[in-house]
Amino acid sequence: MKTFEYMQPENIESASKFLTKNKDSIAFAGGTDLLGLMKDDIFSPKQLVNLKKIGDLNFIKYNENEGLRIGALTKLSEIENHNIVKEKYNVLYQSIYELATPQLKNIGTLGGNICQRPRCFYFRGDYDCIRKGGDTCFAITGHNKYHCIVGGDPCYIVHPSDTAVALVALNAKFKIFDGKNEKTIPAEEFFILPNVDETKENILNSGELLTEIIIPPINNNTVSSYIKVKERGAWDFALVSIAGVFNKNDNKITDGKIVFGGVAPSPWQDKKINDNLVSFNLTQENIKKLSSLAFEKTDVLEMNEYKVTLAKNLIIKLLLETFNI
Amino acid sequence: MAIKKSKHFFEDELIETIGEVSEEIYEQLPNNKDLNYIGKKISRYDGYEKVSGKAKYTFDIKLPNMAYAKILRSDLPNAKIKSIDISIAKNLKGVLEILTYQNIDDIDFYGENGKLLDQHVKHEGDEVACIVAESEKIAETASKLIQVQYEKLGFSTSIEQSTRDNSVKIYDWGNIRNGKPDEYERGNVEEGFLQSDFIVEDTFTTEVVIHHPTEVHCSVVNWEGDKLIIYDSTQGIFEIKKSVSEYLKISEDKVQVIKKYMGGGFGSKLEAGKYTVLAAILSKKINRPVRLAVDRKEMSLATGNRPDSIQHLKVGVKKDGTLMAMTHEAKAAVGAYPTGGGCSWPFKQIYLCPNVKTIDFSVITNTGKARPFRAPGHVQGTFGLDSIIDDAAYKIGMDPLEFRLKNYAEKDQVWGAEYTSKLLREAYKEGAEKINWERRNKVPGSGNGFKKRGIGMATQIWWGGGGPPAHANIEIKNDGSVIVYSGTQDIGTGTYTIISQVAAEILEIPIQKIEVILGDTDKTPYGPSSGGSTTAPSISPAVRDAAEKMKRKLISASAAILNVDEKELFYSLGSVSDKSKTNKLSITEIAANLKGQKLFTEGSREENLKGYVAQTFGAQFAEVEVDTLTGFVKVLKIVAAHDIGRTLNRQTLENQFHGGIIQGLGMALMEERIMDSDFGKMLNTNLHDYKIPTMLDIPEIEVIIVSEADVKANNMGVKGIGEPAIIPTPGAISNAVYNAIGVRVKSLPITPNKILKALNS
Ligand SMILES: Cc1cc2nc3c(=O)[nH]c(=O)nc-3n(C[C@H](O)[C@H](O)[C@H](O)COP(=O)(O)OP(=O)(O)OC[C@H]3O[C@@H](n4cnc5c(N)ncnc54)[C@H](O)[C@@H]3O)c2cc1C
Repeated sequence: MKTFEYMQPENIESASKFLTKNKDSIAFAGGTDLLGLMKDDIFSPKQLVNLKKIGDLNFIKYNENEGLRIGALTKLSEIENHNIVKEKYNVLYQSIYELATPQLKNIGTLGGNICQRPRCFYFRGDYDCIRKGGDTCFAITGHNKYHCIVGGDPCYIVHPSDTAVALVALNAKFKIFDGKNEKTIPAEEFFILPNVDETKENILNSGELLTEIIIPPINNNTVSSYIKVKERGAWDFALVSIAGVFNKNDNKITDGKIVFGGVAPSPWQDKKINDNLVSFNLTQENIKKLSSLAFEKTDVLEMNEYKVTLAKNLIIKLLLETFNI
Repeated sequence: MAIKKSKHFFEDELIETIGEVSEEIYEQLPNNKDLNYIGKKISRYDGYEKVSGKAKYTFDIKLPNMAYAKILRSDLPNAKIKSIDISIAKNLKGVLEILTYQNIDDIDFYGENGKLLDQHVKHEGDEVACIVAESEKIAETASKLIQVQYEKLGFSTSIEQSTRDNSVKIYDWGNIRNGKPDEYERGNVEEGFLQSDFIVEDTFTTEVVIHHPTEVHCSVVNWEGDKLIIYDSTQGIFEIKKSVSEYLKISEDKVQVIKKYMGGGFGSKLEAGKYTVLAAILSKKINRPVRLAVDRKEMSLATGNRPDSIQHLKVGVKKDGTLMAMTHEAKAAVGAYPTGGGCSWPFKQIYLCPNVKTIDFSVITNTGKARPFRAPGHVQGTFGLDSIIDDAAYKIGMDPLEFRLKNYAEKDQVWGAEYTSKLLREAYKEGAEKINWERRNKVPGSGNGFKKRGIGMATQIWWGGGGPPAHANIEIKNDGSVIVYSGTQDIGTGTYTIISQVAAEILEIPIQKIEVILGDTDKTPYGPSSGGSTTAPSISPAVRDAAEKMKRKLISASAAILNVDEKELFYSLGSVSDKSKTNKLSITEIAANLKGQKLFTEGSREENLKGYVAQTFGAQFAEVEVDTLTGFVKVLKIVAAHDIGRTLNRQTLENQFHGGIIQGLGMALMEERIMDSDFGKMLNTNLHDYKIPTMLDIPEIEVIIVSEADVKANNMGVKGIGEPAIIPTPGAISNAVYNAIGVRVKSLPITPNKILKALNS
């Protein structure tokens, strides 16, 4: 790790302004992701801008009409242990339950989780890869068991965040502040694919900060759930994960949304699947049929074809388990 | 006492030793239920020190004025150093000295195949330079300022790449150790196959796995005049003493090695590492103590591993289940410096078969050198063997357990020796009962639902009888305190504890009175390295010998004090008395009479019984649940039933079994070194990407010991358990997975992608 300066701005405006002006500075929340990258010399910012001491960014508020609002600096463990989250937003709760370790969740923040960098071996290693400004995605001919099956070209990372998948499924909105103005955008528009810009995973420009996550209210017929497939019981990123939020009437899904993690450089939706969820009759046969429609077009690499099967199977598992079929 | 030449198994090698042995013959102790300490769940001797943080591990040792060293390692898999410029690094404030191949003595390492610092680096992580500085951070910063120009050479990092027709030749002599495989044959396999009704044949593979003990490899060294003192995180203080003195060409007597506490060692710490020798050279140069600790990445690259394996196996069997012929041909990538990677021992030994042939190739690759790893060869070998044996049983429609019983070997098949004991039948029986073997799928994969359960088992064979030379001395001071000294070391397995139990049991005194001093080559008599599951069976008989002799000495002292004939006196419960008990002296009273002298006895391990081989046996049964939609395998339960002779401490025994089984589960389901073949570099060099089991992966574990004492093994009836614990775990889990889903995953680790692929085919 190289030496750096540690900045403690008074408020969000000065944090954002400092970050805009100083191109080699970076926002520092829990640091669980950032410090690892710095220790491995993946990047070496000159200044760390600490966001933790700025008030107002650490809260969980709930109101039946407006839904759930979470400050970007709220610790993951606080969200995980929040009653409303557990009761009403099961998919978010499970995505956090399944993520990292209790220690990391006691330090890591929701904003940091959403903005964390990819776990690709080549990005995190001593390789001049395309995401770090090089020319090549080494995963294409290298070890690519954990890489994406859709949306990859020219860089085959997967988005690492579990909460991002749940939040997109919940139709969450993200509030972004650039030092002067604030804007609110749908979560799914926050994440970008490498064909837009292969050096970053979201739309944030330097100086822009994620300040708040807004999750719309849900009605009594809504059920939601998250399944994450890992290679061990805990402390592992998703091979593939799936988030589902459904409105239900008797044995029917009236409408719903399924989002995948671990398959693409951003949380991924398969339009065909979500279109088919309108007035969906929950029978074993229908579920199998639905699953077979998924991932018609993929761009698989040598070692990751299993993810196609896994993602399809997860549609079945999600529906069977969520609806106890 | 006499000096004898003897042989016994250490790891997977038959070693010959010369040393003093005890010629005393003792009656075997009663069964554990009639003993006070032995076999009981006794808390660890050093438990308080460890949990309170008082225990100083090598990693924690700080000497006054100590400097810190770091190693610069190659980031290329095969290269010659064209030039190396240390001038900028050397000028960094706080840097004291830098060693490179240019300014260091010419010291051979890895036999003749390398130098302590070599101009030719043969794998990522090979040592290039060593920097010593005022702090570790400075040394590390300096290492990045050293400019190295390399001539890149072609490389190979896999068995496949090293054994192609046009492979890069890593040595002039090629890529196969010794230029040829290790071979073994008995009977005539061609004929055996002709006489078989069925032949099953398949290829099984395992991946390279890394030891990763909690405490990293590290040494703290200091010279006091011409005497070198080494604190080392090692499994063999006397081994380090010998080999470091050889590397430095100094007298062995000028080297003292100390190791009090250790955070684990699974074989990678059996030999001296370059880091220790480099630290010693630097310490001499700067005339200050030097500490050198490697980090996790270095642990991943350069401190050893279990080699992978590609095992092609063939088994011929008669309809009634009689094994007629077996062949094994295996290759293992042993890394850049020659060492053995064979895995055929279980194949030769376990199942009764007249016609057996094995061929093992140890293949050189541009990767870190393999080192012994908890039952070297046996874990991967047993996975392959017990997979093909399972296949053969299903093929002829026989219960896999019955098939194993049908081919039960009463005698050792390689040398024709008798076993000191073999209670494998009992292990099969009790294990099968506990797992409820009848619940298995009679037709593999026949369970309902998408979560399928299965039960499987595998057999364990290992040595673990130990042997001489191994010594322990007992001293009783004037205040009556009892101290046991032995030059073995406690690597975390509980050696302190079992030694105190044996001494307390034989001397019939409260265990709290016993002090144990281990791990110091100047203070303790010779003890062997802690490996091969030989520590308890080598040392505990020596402790008994010293304690029995002490009892006699106490009687002799009492006779002198009391002016009576020794024959009138007897020893009981820490006192000597005559029949009428009118004269009675406690240990403390006897010791107090000796005015300035102490009571001292020397104990040694006796010879092993001629014509016998002491081996450990066992069977593990696994129950798993496979989610056929996700491919995730959850191990629900492991039953481990073993014949390991006498249990010394039920608590530390269970610790060993839990550790071994969890480590085996890791190898079965998730652990693997991941290499990039374009760059020849390892990709998962941290403990997040290199996946070891977490709490959520650990199943219910039930340990059953079917043996009392193995009376022919040694005077304590003890055999080792460290390695037996891990041997059958991957085989049992993999057979359980097959039983659950009805298709076999033939390569470890059994990760979800492989299960999904198997189910799709
Ligand atoms: C070993 C390990 C295992 C993990 N496993 C998982 C897992 O299974 N699933 C999973 O989802 N995550 C996992 N994580 C990621 C972990 O959850 C994140 O590290 C954590 O959530 C990041 O939060 P932080 O507050 O520490 O962020 P930091 O490390 O401080 O920041 C992360 C990044 O986000 C940026 N950033 C932070 N806050 C903001 C903001 N408000 N606006 C704009 N940019 C911001 C920073 O500049 C930085 O680039 C794991 C991490 C580790 C180290």
